[in-house]
Amino acid sequence: MIAALRPDAWDFPLFLHVLGAVLLFGGSASLAVLSIAGLRIPEHAVLLRVLAFRTTLIVVWPAYLVMRVGAQWILSREGLEDNSPGWVGVGFIVSDAGVVVLLLLTLLGWLARRRPRAGTWFAGLSVLYLVALGVAWFAMSAKPG
Amino acid sequence: MLFLPVTGAFLFLGGVVVAWVLGIAAALRKRPSEIALLLGLTGTAAAAIGLGLLLSIVFGLWLVFDLDQYDLWDGWVIAALVMWALSGALGGTAGRRDKETRLFAERLAAEADVPSNELVARVRDPVALSLNIASSLLGFAILAIMIWKPGVGG
Repeated sequence: MIAALRPDAWDFPLFLHVLGAVLLFGGSASLAVLSIAGLRIPEHAVLLRVLAFRTTLIVVWPAYLVMRVGAQWILSREGLEDNSPGWVGVGFIVSDAGVVVLLLLTLLGWLARRRPRAGTWFAGLSVLYLVALGVAWFAMSAKPG
Repeated sequence: MLFLPVTGAFLFLGGVVVAWVLGIAAALRKRPSEIALLLGLTGTAAAAIGLGLLLSIVFGLWLVFDLDQYDLWDGWVIAALVMWALSGALGGTAGRRDKETRLFAERLAAEADVPSNELVARVRDPVALSLNIASSLLGFAILAIMIWKPGVGG
């Protein structure tokens, strides 16, 4: 219903936002897979932690930027900047708090190249971030309330 | 109502991203045990892709039947269905080639774990790479079609 009523001018910003969100989800899932494997397979732990750190820089951060720019663009097109509904608020909380989480993941990923203990924290935080992204995609698509 | 097909799309395309991250990492390694490990981890991505494809088709069609303004015979719906089938078929074929490469890498790892030119060639197999690229592009093109819905007035 909403899609049928949506003006064509909203399509590209929405595509950009969803594309960024999908890449961010995939990138974050990669971090979780690599870092958990790093905890379970000690003989390859260093390689897996290095790959997780590089994925944070090469995939996750650019995806976050695409998602966030697309979000702000579609929000301004829809005129929801001053009067946004609750589901938009959930998206803002997850995306803006996500900057802090991504900064922490970057720091932990960098430390984890030499300190295995940081790898444990990295794995836990990447799983938590994945759950937060799941909450955001529920809010964005189900639009509760 | 949108949540379930969107979940399908996120699992499908998110799984594709994970598979690319692990596949590229494997293609840049030389030791068989490392290649086997990274290709083995793509199993998680394959499971997400399979579940995502299933959820997206079941609940996507449900959405089409449920909303009066869309019809199964709309051009964009047919295009999305054809692309969905092609993406799954191409990805499945590439996945079988990647699985053979992983088994070969595991065999080499169990023997001496010494770099092998044949394994490096297999992990960078242009046929599997082309199939994976085509399958992924089709997946992202479906996402674009879902948003633009060509032919539907806006």
